[in-house]
Amino acid sequence: MAESKSKKSPGVLAVFGDLEPTADAIEQLRKLGVSDDCMNIVSGVPVTEAMFGRPKQWSNVPRVAMGGAILGFSAAAFLAFIAPYWYPYPIQVSTQAYVPWPPTFVLFFELTMLGMLLSTFLAVFLDSFFPNYRPMQYVPEVSDGKYAIIVDCDHVPESKVKDLLKKLGAESIKPAEAKQL
Amino acid sequence: MTYGKKETEKKQEHHDHHGHTEEHFKEKHLMLDPLPRGVMNDMVMEAVTEKPSWKWWTTVFVLSAVVVYCLIYSWYRLIAEGVGIAGVNRPSYWGIFLVNTVFWIGISHAGTFISAILRVFKAEFRRPFTRVAELMTTFGLVQAGFSIFMHMGRVWLAYWLMPYPNQRMLWPNFHSPLSWDLLAITTYLLSSTMYLFLPLIPDLAMARDKTTGWRKNFYRILALGFRGTEGEWTHLRNAMNIFAFAIIPVMFSVHTIVSWDFAAATRPGWNSTIFGPYFVIGALHSGMGAAVVVLAAVRKFIKNMDYFIRAEHFDAIGKLMLIISMGWAYFFFNDYMVQWYGGDKWTKQLLHFHEAGPLGWMWFAMLIVNIAIPWAILWNPKWRSTPWLVSTVGILINVGMWFERYIIIPISLTINRMPFTWRMYTPGIEIPLGIGTLVLFILLYVIFSKLIPMIPVWEVQEGQMAHQLKKFGRETVVQVSELE
Amino acid sequence: MTTLSDLKISEVKLAAEEGGKWGMVIDQDICTGCQACVAACSMENNIPFVGEEDSGYGRAMHWIRIERFWEGEYPEVKMTNQQPMMCQQCGSAPCEPVCPAFATVHSQAEELNLQVYNRCVGTRYCANNCPYQVRTFNWRDYERPEPLPNQFNPDVTVRRRGVMEKCTFCIQRIHKANDKAKSEGREVMDGEFTTACAQACPSNAITFGRVDKKDTLVYNMMHHGQSHGKKHLEELGTLPNITYLNGGGA
Repeated sequence: MAESKSKKSPGVLAVFGDLEPTADAIEQLRKLGVSDDCMNIVSGVPVTEAMFGRPKQWSNVPRVAMGGAILGFSAAAFLAFIAPYWYPYPIQVSTQAYVPWPPTFVLFFELTMLGMLLSTFLAVFLDSFFPNYRPMQYVPEVSDGKYAIIVDCDHVPESKVKDLLKKLGAESIKPAEAKQL
Repeated sequence: MTYGKKETEKKQEHHDHHGHTEEHFKEKHLMLDPLPRGVMNDMVMEAVTEKPSWKWWTTVFVLSAVVVYCLIYSWYRLIAEGVGIAGVNRPSYWGIFLVNTVFWIGISHAGTFISAILRVFKAEFRRPFTRVAELMTTFGLVQAGFSIFMHMGRVWLAYWLMPYPNQRMLWPNFHSPLSWDLLAITTYLLSSTMYLFLPLIPDLAMARDKTTGWRKNFYRILALGFRGTEGEWTHLRNAMNIFAFAIIPVMFSVHTIVSWDFAAATRPGWNSTIFGPYFVIGALHSGMGAAVVVLAAVRKFIKNMDYFIRAEHFDAIGKLMLIISMGWAYFFFNDYMVQWYGGDKWTKQLLHFHEAGPLGWMWFAMLIVNIAIPWAILWNPKWRSTPWLVSTVGILINVGMWFERYIIIPISLTINRMPFTWRMYTPGIEIPLGIGTLVLFILLYVIFSKLIPMIPVWEVQEGQMAHQLKKFGRETVVQVSELE
Repeated sequence: MTTLSDLKISEVKLAAEEGGKWGMVIDQDICTGCQACVAACSMENNIPFVGEEDSGYGRAMHWIRIERFWEGEYPEVKMTNQQPMMCQQCGSAPCEPVCPAFATVHSQAEELNLQVYNRCVGTRYCANNCPYQVRTFNWRDYERPEPLPNQFNPDVTVRRRGVMEKCTFCIQRIHKANDKAKSEGREVMDGEFTTACAQACPSNAITFGRVDKKDTLVYNMMHHGQSHGKKHLEELGTLPNITYLNGGGA
C-alpha cells in the first residue's frame, strides 16, 4: 500500500484559518469537480458536517452501542435465569423466590448499561481505526484551531486544485504527505 | 508568560452594577472572552509541561510518604493481622470503611453530575471544568473501591463476588444488595473512566502536537492517532452523547443501590424507603462541595487557570450547592419525620441516641454544616463567587456529609433490637487508612495535573464559538447558538 | 364473586403455622444463668477464645449468650429472667438473602439456617441484618495455647480469620443421629440426641428436638395449653424456631 502511494502524488493539504473560508473552499472544490469522497476535513473543534455543507458522516457508534446493550441484556438473562439452575444443588435463601423479580431488574439494568457503554467506547475505536500509529496526512496547526482540507483526487489536475485553494485564501498549501504524528 | 488575566480578577469587584457593557461581559464570562485556540493550548500545555517546582516535588514526596504509610503499610497490616485491628465490633459490624466507601462514591457523583447532566442540559458554564470533575469521579471511585476491599474479612477472595464460570458452577447471589452494588460500582467505574477518556482524546492529540521528547511519545500513544477528521469527530460526538445520557441513570442507580445496602436491611433507622433519593442528593451535596474545592485548588495552584476558571463558575456551582443543600434538607426531614412519627420503640431509641447520645454533637454539627452554613453564605452572589469562601463551605459540607454517613452506619448500628449487645464503636486502623484514601485522592490530582491537560480546550473553544453578544434595543445580551 | 379463599390467602405461610423441623424450647423461668451452655457450646463447636480485651469490646464469639436485664433504677433494681440468646434458626432468615457469596443459606434438608465458612468473604452484611445479633465474626486468628488444641471436636470445622459463624443447632450431632437412624432403617427418634447446650444445662431449661411431629416433647412444650411461650421479634416475620417460656418471675 505504501508503494502505490509513493507512485502517485499524495494529494494536497491546505490550511485555512477560519470556518467560513473553509466552507467556501469546499463548495468551490466541488464545483471544480472534486467529489466529496476525495475531500477530508481535519479540525481541532467538532464542526458539524452541515456547517461545511458536507454529506452526513456514517457512524456505527449507535448501532454497536445497541448491540452491546443486547449483549449485556443477554448476560443478565443468563445470570438471572440460567445460572441459578446450573448450581449443583438448589440454593434457597430466606423465603425469597428462587429467581426473584426485583433484584433481577437491577441485574438487567446494570448489565445492559455496562454492555452498552463498553461497546460505545469500543465502537469509537472500531469506527475511527483507533489506535493507529501509522503515518497520516496531518498538520499540527489543526490543534491550534486551524482547518485543513485534504484533497486527494485523481480526475482533477492537482495544479488546478492548488490554484483554487490559493485564490480562496489558504494559509498554506502543501503536498499531503503522510507523516508520523 | 502572562496573558493579562490578572486584570479580570481586579475588575471582578464592581461587576454587579447595571452597566452591561461589552467589556463587562468579557471580564465576567469565559465564553465571551475568547482567545485564539493556539494561545489557549499554550496556556494549558504550559501548566502541564512546565518543569515542576521544588514545591511540587515536595508535595508529591510528602503525599507519597503518607500514602505509603497510611494506605500501603496499614493495609498490609490489616490483611496480615485481620480485621481485628480495625474498630468494628458487635453490633457495629460496619464502620469507617463503609463510611468512606459511601463518602467516596458520593464525591464521585459530582463529576458525572457536572459533565453529564450539565452537558445534556447544555449548561455552558460547565465547559472549562468538566475534566477536573470527571477526574474526581474516577479518582473518588478508586478510593471507594479501596475502602470496600479494606472492609472485607477475606479480601483475597474478593473475586468470588464476580460472576465467572467455576468448577462448582456457583454464581454470586443476586438477591444481595452487595452484589448489585458490585455490579453498579463496576459499571460506574468503567463507564466514568471511559467517559473521562473520550473527551480527552482531542486534547491528547493537541498535547502530542505541542510537545517533544518523552511526552510526545506518551501523548502519541494515548491519543491513539486522532487527527480530528470529520469521521473521528462524528464518532466521538455520538459516543459522548450516548455516554452523557446513559451515565446519568447509572449514577443514580449506584447511589440508590448503596442506599439499599442499608434500606433493605431489617434495622431500625435503616429500613426507610426514602433512602434512595436521600442518598443520591447527599452524594451530590458532598460531591459539589468537593468539586468547588478542587476547582479552587486548580485555579490557585495550576498556572494560567485563572483565565479558564472564573468567579462565574464559583457562582454557578455555588447556586447548585445551595439548591442541593435545600434538597438534602428536604429529604433528611422527610426521613426523620416519618421515622419519628412511626413511633417504633427501637427507632425512637435510635433517634434519641442520635441527638442525645455521646455523639450527639456530630448530629447537630451535621445539620449546621450541611444546612445552616450553606444557606447562610451561598444565597449571596458575591460571597459564593469568592473562591476561598465557597470552597470553605465545600469542605464543611464534606465534613458534614462524612458525619452523616458516620451517623447512618456505626452510630445507627449501635442501637438494635437486642439491647444486650448495644456497644459503642471506636475506630482503630480505619483512621490511617481513611487518611490514606484522602491523600491518595489528592496525590492523583497533583500527579495528573502534570500529565494531562486539565482543561478541555476544544470544548472551551467550541463554547466560545457558540457565544456572542446581541443587542436587543439598548440592552446587550448574551446569545448562545446550539452548534450540535 | 371473588371470595377470600379464591385469593388463596390460605397459601400464605403465617408465622404461627410455619413449623420448621428442629426446634428448641428455652424455659427462662428455670434458667439460672450459670453459663454452662455457653461453655459447653464453646467446647463442642471449637469456638475461639478472644481474650479479655476483645471480649470487653464486644467481640466475644460465643454462639450462645446469657442476656441479663433488670428493671427499675438503682437501688430499686429488680432482676428479670435470664435470657439465653443464640441463632433462632429462622424459617425466613434476614441474614440469608443479603450475602453476596451464598455463604449463608437455608438448608432444605434440615430446615436450618446454614453458614458455609469456606464461602464466606467477610462482608459482615448478614450480622448487620440479623435482628437477634447472634452472629459472631472471626476478627483475628485467635491463639489457642497448648494443650487446648487437643480438645478440638473433630466433627466441627475450625474457622479461620475473616469468616462469620453462628449457632448451628449442633448440626454435626443432627447428622450423626440421622446417619445412625438411616443405617438402622428408621427415622430419628425424639430425644435420641440433643445439642451441647441442652445437654449441659443443669436445670434442663433448654429442650431440643423435632417440631414437625405432634407427639414430640418440644412440640408439646410449645403448644401446651395457652402456654406463655413466645418467639423473639416474631413481628419481623423471621419465623424463628426457638420458643421462650417466660412466666416473668425471677
